[in-house]
Amino acid sequence: MRIVHYLNQFFAGRGGESEAILPPGMLPGPVGPGRLLKSHLDGDAEIVATLYCGDNYATEREAEAGKKLAEFLAEAKADVLVAGPAFSSGRYGLACGLACRLAATLGIPAVAAMHPENPAVEIYHREVLIVPTAADAVGMDEALRALARFAARLGNGIELGPADKEGYLPRTRRNVFDGDTGAERMVAMLCDRLGGRAFQTELPLPAIDPVPPAPPIPDLRTIKLAVVTTGGVVPPGNPDHLESWRASRWAKYPLDSVESFTCVHGGFDNRFIRDDPRRVVPVDALRELEAEGRIGSLHPELFVTVGNVEPVERARRFGREIAAELRAAEVQAVVLTAT
Amino acid sequence: MSVEAGLVPQPSELARVELELRSFHVHTADWGDHLALIDGHLRVPRAALVTLVLQDPRLVSVDPVWVRAGEHTRVIHVLDAVEPCVKPEPTTAFPGFLGPPDVAGTGRTDRLTGIAVLTAADIPDQADSQGPKEAILDMWGPGGTYHPFSGLTNLVLQFACHERVSIAEAVAAGRLAAIRVASYLAGAAHTANPDHVERLALAPRAPDLPGVVYVCLAMREGEVHGTYLYGKLVESLPALLHPNEVLDGAVVSGDYWIACHRVPTYYYQNDPVIRALYARDGREIAFLGVLVCRCLIPAQAEKHRQAAQTAKVARMLGAAGAVVTMSNGGHAYADQMLICQHLERAGIRTAISVDEYADRDGSDFPLVTVVPEAVAIVSNGNQEQVVDLPAAERVIGGRDFRAGNTYEAAFSRRPDEPLSVALRQVYCATSQSGFGRLRCVAY
Repeated sequence: MRIVHYLNQFFAGRGGESEAILPPGMLPGPVGPGRLLKSHLDGDAEIVATLYCGDNYATEREAEAGKKLAEFLAEAKADVLVAGPAFSSGRYGLACGLACRLAATLGIPAVAAMHPENPAVEIYHREVLIVPTAADAVGMDEALRALARFAARLGNGIELGPADKEGYLPRTRRNVFDGDTGAERMVAMLCDRLGGRAFQTELPLPAIDPVPPAPPIPDLRTIKLAVVTTGGVVPPGNPDHLESWRASRWAKYPLDSVESFTCVHGGFDNRFIRDDPRRVVPVDALRELEAEGRIGSLHPELFVTVGNVEPVERARRFGREIAAELRAAEVQAVVLTAT
Repeated sequence: MSVEAGLVPQPSELARVELELRSFHVHTADWGDHLALIDGHLRVPRAALVTLVLQDPRLVSVDPVWVRAGEHTRVIHVLDAVEPCVKPEPTTAFPGFLGPPDVAGTGRTDRLTGIAVLTAADIPDQADSQGPKEAILDMWGPGGTYHPFSGLTNLVLQFACHERVSIAEAVAAGRLAAIRVASYLAGAAHTANPDHVERLALAPRAPDLPGVVYVCLAMREGEVHGTYLYGKLVESLPALLHPNEVLDGAVVSGDYWIACHRVPTYYYQNDPVIRALYARDGREIAFLGVLVCRCLIPAQAEKHRQAAQTAKVARMLGAAGAVVTMSNGGHAYADQMLICQHLERAGIRTAISVDEYADRDGSDFPLVTVVPEAVAIVSNGNQEQVVDLPAAERVIGGRDFRAGNTYEAAFSRRPDEPLSVALRQVYCATSQSGFGRLRCVAY
């Protein structure tokens, strides 16, 4: 079994932070922690090559890094890619995620290791197999043992069981039939809690990143204000085919045309919005405020999507994209009408 | 000053709420000359049944058909499922509907097991998005694994209303038809011997056992869809019920919204949470009662009021723990999470039951909203996972799927064809009542 090990520039012995701009490179055999990883491998598994890349290069020049890493992976004829452990290093974690994603496109099974709160986890955990580690290199040996274990399973084509049992970070949720009903499991879970016994939730809560609000506007009379809505208000005929749920896109339309629009949001009875879209896009009230000099000016475009069951990742992306346009247009404040 | 004797109720009278529930099993059912249950074979006079249903002037026709376990039959446009039950006169089953809203859950109730009355109708959309959603019920194969009806003999009432009847009136007519027929069928029991007799009563309150309440959030949304408590729609305040009341027809479903997380009347009559709590009552816990609340409350302040009141009532009852179920989705999650939060902050430990919107591939975070206090959650499965249903030999309930705004590609196919369809459209598949065994596991 030909294992390729990905490390960052530091663990590959190429240098510290100043070498974070190093482009991808490949070294023969195990390097640095790879030597300890090798000692945990069984049978015919061997580390045939070590790939490395500077953390900054990998995260700032993703496309180029990816191209080079893919070439190296093919050249090394990897059966399995092992990446990290990156512990809490965010850029290193992202680079590991990138390397594993690349491996997947080449049909090479891959596993990365990092701390569960590494920022890369939120981005990559759905598509990349990630083994949780301690926050720093104190957990090196344990992390390498886990990587060795998973490398062997992947290399042997052994199907993985549930995340909890196997010890990797959950990627997706799959429907299965349990032996007990939901009601029985819920009552049992409560009784465990009441009896002071250990219990395990079937749905761990997400780490919700708190978004600090922007500081308040000292003087509204000077600002340019835009309207953004998740209420799904679109021109008649829905020309951009905005979906009624799990929207794949957002759109912009002339704000002042909104009175003639319709509503395609599928999550509630939208009759009242279809009757008068200004109920969710208050352009009339805002134009009054503008005429009275209470706000500076209104941005002429309305930004629209449908918020109904929108995947969190996509919503984040939409927010970033719309914010970029608002910034470019020097908009300082937004009225966001959610429904 | 005089004292009237006999006015102070004795503690034993207050404590002793008992329901004698007699179950009569139906092995087969078919049309016959007279209503009778003989050796587990139910015979029903069709003409009398049709006459009974068509008392309702809103209905123009009803076509009742038997749909039996294992048949390759697909029922579409499913509205509700009801277990036949009857009470001795002068009390009635389904108080508030078939009789005055006296408190249920005491005396004697006869029910037929192994059978359910289903309603199905093609109710034309008038208000666009507000009509009943499509609901698929397969009596065999993979589709049959998501609910209990594939193992029962079902009497499906396919009905049609007069043209000018509104959607709300049409579903009300179907609702009344189902419970009338359910009560009528159970009348066959009086000639038979019960297969099983239970005496349902709470154990005397043991002070050393932790008290548990069951908070049951029942959906209510708009003019068409809602849950009925003694014949009236649930309110945004906790209603304290003895568990027997729920088992004994106090709650009737009027939820015809998204198929997968409906809680049909049948599920209330056989409430699995109540059964699980009863099994532990007096041993591990003291089952204090059921708080029926509303979910899909449209205003924040009203949501808050209900959550605060629910926690207060639970504390007044002496609860140490609470299980919390819900129905429907969207805002309903917020109502449930808010109640969970208020309970936990009042020092009452919770375990809650949800279903999941995790996208087709199970990769999205599955809940609309969460509170940090929701540390004990039970899953009833991802409604967006796609299931493959085989071709059906027979389709009951309608001719074509009602697509509405369900964003479901499978609904452009004919109902008897093989379907790749989101579990969302399968009747009760992810019901948060916890009736089924479906759940999500993280991979």
